[in-house]
Amino acid sequence: MTIKRRDFLGHMAAGSAVISMPAFVSGCGVPTATAVREATPENPFMAWFGVDQATTARVMSELTASGADAADLYFQHTRSNSLTLEDGIVSNANSGIQQGVGLRVVIGEQTGYAFTEDLTLPSMLAAARTASAIASGSQVVAPQAFNRQASGDLYTTTVPWSDVGVDRKLPLLKFVEEKARSMDTAIEKVAVYWADADERVMIATLDGKLVTDHRPMTRATVVVTASKNGKTQTGHSNIAAREEFAWYSEERLTRMVREAVDRTMIQFEARRPPAGEMPVILASGASGILLHEAIGHGMEADFNRKGTSIYTDMIGKKVAEPFVTVVDQATIPKERGALNYDDEGNRAGKTVLVEDGILKSYLHDQISARQYGLSPTGSGRRESYKFAPMPRMSCTFMEDGPHTKDEIVAAVDHGIICETYTNGQVRIGAGDYTFYVKNGWLVEKGKITAPIKDVNIIGNGPESLKRITMVANDARLDTGGWTCGKNGQRVPVSQGIPTVLVSNMTVGGENAG
Amino acid sequence: MPAELENRAMHAVELARSAGANDAWATAGQGRDVEFGYRDGALEKVKDTTSRSLAVQIYADGRYSSHQTTDLNPERLRSFIAEAVAITRALEPDEHRQITPAELFDGRPDEDLDLVDAGVAEIDRQRRLDWCKALDEAATAHERVISATAGVYDGSQLSASASSNGFLGTQESTYCWYGSSVTLRDQGERRASDGYYVGGVYVDSLPAAHDVAAMALERSLARLGSEKGPTAKTTMLVDSRAAASLIGRLLRPATGRAVHLGQSFWSGLVDEQAFSDKLTIVDNPLIPRGLGSRSFDSEGIASRQLPIVENGIVKNLYVDTYHGRKANMAPTTGSASNRVVGVGEHSLGELLQEVGDGVYVTSWLGGNADGTTGDYSLGLSGHLIENGEIGRPVGEMNVTGNLLDLFSRLELTGNDVYPYSTTLSPSLLFSDVDFSGA
Repeated sequence: MTIKRRDFLGHMAAGSAVISMPAFVSGCGVPTATAVREATPENPFMAWFGVDQATTARVMSELTASGADAADLYFQHTRSNSLTLEDGIVSNANSGIQQGVGLRVVIGEQTGYAFTEDLTLPSMLAAARTASAIASGSQVVAPQAFNRQASGDLYTTTVPWSDVGVDRKLPLLKFVEEKARSMDTAIEKVAVYWADADERVMIATLDGKLVTDHRPMTRATVVVTASKNGKTQTGHSNIAAREEFAWYSEERLTRMVREAVDRTMIQFEARRPPAGEMPVILASGASGILLHEAIGHGMEADFNRKGTSIYTDMIGKKVAEPFVTVVDQATIPKERGALNYDDEGNRAGKTVLVEDGILKSYLHDQISARQYGLSPTGSGRRESYKFAPMPRMSCTFMEDGPHTKDEIVAAVDHGIICETYTNGQVRIGAGDYTFYVKNGWLVEKGKITAPIKDVNIIGNGPESLKRITMVANDARLDTGGWTCGKNGQRVPVSQGIPTVLVSNMTVGGENAG
Repeated sequence: MPAELENRAMHAVELARSAGANDAWATAGQGRDVEFGYRDGALEKVKDTTSRSLAVQIYADGRYSSHQTTDLNPERLRSFIAEAVAITRALEPDEHRQITPAELFDGRPDEDLDLVDAGVAEIDRQRRLDWCKALDEAATAHERVISATAGVYDGSQLSASASSNGFLGTQESTYCWYGSSVTLRDQGERRASDGYYVGGVYVDSLPAAHDVAAMALERSLARLGSEKGPTAKTTMLVDSRAAASLIGRLLRPATGRAVHLGQSFWSGLVDEQAFSDKLTIVDNPLIPRGLGSRSFDSEGIASRQLPIVENGIVKNLYVDTYHGRKANMAPTTGSASNRVVGVGEHSLGELLQEVGDGVYVTSWLGGNADGTTGDYSLGLSGHLIENGEIGRPVGEMNVTGNLLDLFSRLELTGNDVYPYSTTLSPSLLFSDVDFSGA
C-alpha cells in the first residue's frame, strides 16, 4: 500500500480508533494509524508532519537569516482521548488534536520564538521571520540535510493508543466503579476519569540533528465520595505512566481503587494535628514532592544563571548529611517523567543534584549549559510547540539510606508521618516551599497512632536538607500522575523517596496557643 | 474576521450534522499574543504568536462528547468530526445530555461591554521596548537588586460559536499586561523576591510602567529580613490581592456539578445564612472593560448579574445545564465571570488600627482546601501587625481551619479593591485564625 505524502496528514488527523472492531472502523471510513506506520520505512515522522528535508532546511535557513547561536524547529502532533464515568455511566468523552511547529532562535541569553499550526511552507516561513526578529546579525550556515538520531526505547509500545477504541476502555471504567462500590457500603458516589495520548515530536536543530520521539501517556483516576453519620468525605487515587492499554491489569486497577477507598474512609476518623513545629516523617514514594519543591526547582539552571535561586552559590558545598543523594533521571523506562530526548533534541539522562550530601549539578538547558561552559543535561523541556523550552525536572528521587522505616518511627517522640499529597509550591529566592498533606498519622512515643488530614507543611529548602537526619532503605517512585507547572508551562513528572525524617518543619494545624 | 470565524463554526456544525449528529455546538477561535521579556538591561525574549482552534460538541442518539483540534485542513477536519460522531455513539446514553435550550440564549445584553481597545493592535516593538526599559530602570533602583525581569504581554482573542438550534455569537477582547519581578540579596544565601503586574482591556487605563516597577521593588524590599512568625490564634488581615485568591478558593466548590457529585460544602446552603453578614459576592459579567466580562457563557447562556452571597446568605450557585438537569436546579451559568466582593467603608490604615495586633497576609504559598468539607491549610507570607501598624516581615507560616468557619468570622471588608483580576475583592479581616509558625 502506498500513500502519498500529503495523504499522511489526512490519516494522522483521524488516526484514533473509535472502537476496536475493524469492521466498525472501516465502516465509517476512518482510516487506522496502522497504515501510516507500514508505509513509511524511512522516516515516518517527516511523513507525519508532511515535510521533507528540503522544506525543513528552507525553514531553518529563514529562521537563522539574521544570526543564531542555536535554533530549532519543534514539530508536535498529539492525539489525546479522555473518558468520564459519573453516576454509573460513561456518558462523556473528549478527544483532541494538537498539531503545530514551534520555531526558536537563541543568541546568547536571548530567545526569539514563534509557532504556527499551519504546516504549510508559507506559514512556517512567516513564523520563522517573526522568530528571527530578535537577531540583528548575518545569516549563519544552516544545514541542508539532517541526521536522524537513533530512536530511544524507554517507552516503546506494541499497540499505540490510536489503535485502542472506546469499546475496550469503557469496561475498565465500569470495573473501577463497581470495585469501589463493593469495598464499602458508605460509598455514595464514584467518578472515574480516563486519559490517554499519543504524542509525536520531531526536532530539527541548527547543528543538523533530527530527533524523533513517540511519547505515549496514560492516566486513570478514581474519586470516591462517602457519607457516614451525616458527614461526607471525598478521596481519590490515580496511576499514570508512559504505557499502553495492557498495563491496566485488574490487579493494578484494584490497587488504585483500594487506595482511594482507604484514603476516603480514614478521613472520617482523621483530625488536624496541633499547630506548630515538629519532626516530620515522610513515607516512601509520593513524599518525593519534598525533593521536587525543596531542591529540584532551585537547581534548575535558569534561576541560577540569573542569580535568583537560593542555591546559586552552593555548588560543591555540603548541603545535607552524607547519606543523602538526590537524582533527577529521565531514563527510567515507562515512568511518567521519562524522556528519550529532551525538547531541545538532547539525549535525556541522569543528573546527580546532591551526592553524599554535596551539591553537585544544576539541571541545564542549552542556554544555561553554554553560559556555564558545560554540556546540557538533557533537561530542556516544554509543554508543547507553543512554548520555548527551559530547564525542568523529569523523575526526581532520593536514593536509599542506612536506616529502616521502623527505626525512623521509633526515633520520633511527638510528630507526624505524611503519606499522600495533593500539591506543593516553592519560592525560588527565599527557598521557602510547601506541600499539602491529604493523609497522614500522628506519631507519638515512637508509634504511629491517630490519622490526620488536610494540613499544609512549610519549610525552607536548604534548612530542610540539613534537617534530614535519617533515610531508610525503602526508596520507591510514586506511580501517581504528577504535573509540574513553571512559568505557565505544565509538564509530566515523577518523584520518589525512601522513608525519611526531617527533624523540624512547620505543620499547619489547629488549636494554636 | 468575525464573519470568517462564524462561518467556520457553522460549517463545523453542518459537518457534525451530516456525519449523523442530532445536535452540535461549535466554537472557532483565534488569538494573537506578543510577549517581551527584558532582564537586567537587555531584551531576553520575544515571543510573537498567532493561534487558532476549533472545538465541537456532539449530541447523537442521546449521547454526548466534546472535541477540539488545531488542524483546520478541510479534508482532515471532515474526518475528525466524523470520528467525533463515531466516538459519541460508542458511549452510553444519558438523558441529561442535551444541547442548551434555545430560551437560555435569549436576553443577551444590548450594551457594549467595551472589551476591545483598538490601541492594542497598534502597540509596536518600540513601545514594548520603552515599557521594558522603564520597568527595568525602576525595578533595579536599589543596591540590593540581584536581578529584575520585566514582562510585557499583549494580545487579542476572538471566538465565534454556533449551534444546531440557532445560536450564533462572537466575542472579542483585547488585553495588555506589564510588570516586574525583583530579586534582592537578603541574609546569607537567601533572596527576597516579589513582583507586581498590572493589566486590563485598555492600554491607556494602566498605571505608568515606572510606577508599576517601583511597586514591585517596594514589595520586594518589604520581604527583606523575613523570619518565621509565631504559632498563635490571632486576627488575620488579608490584603486585597491575596484576598482575590482566597475568594477563589471559597467559590471553587460553589457549583451545581460539585454539589451533585457530593463534593461541596455549599450543598444545602442556598437561602441559608452560611457566612458573616459582611460577605457579599456577585458574579457580574456585564462590567464594562472587565477582565472576565462576556455577553454569553460557554454554553450560550445570556449573561446577567448573579448574586452568589448577599450579606452572608447564599443566593445562587454556578449551575451548568447538564448538572442542573441532574440535580434539579435551574441553570445559572457553569463558570465564573467577574466575581465582585462587596466593599466596606474602611481604608487599609483603618483596618490595621482595628486589628491592633495580628498578622497581615500579603501572599499565599501553596496549600489547598478540601471542597467537600471546606477544610483548608495555606502557606503564607506577610507582616506582623503591632499596635495598629505594619510590623516586621514574616513567612514560613501556615494558616489552617475550615472555610465555612473562616468566612463566618469575616469581621470587616476594606474599601480598597485590587483591580487586576477577575476577582475584585477588597482587603478582608478575620478574627481568631489558627496560625502555625515557630
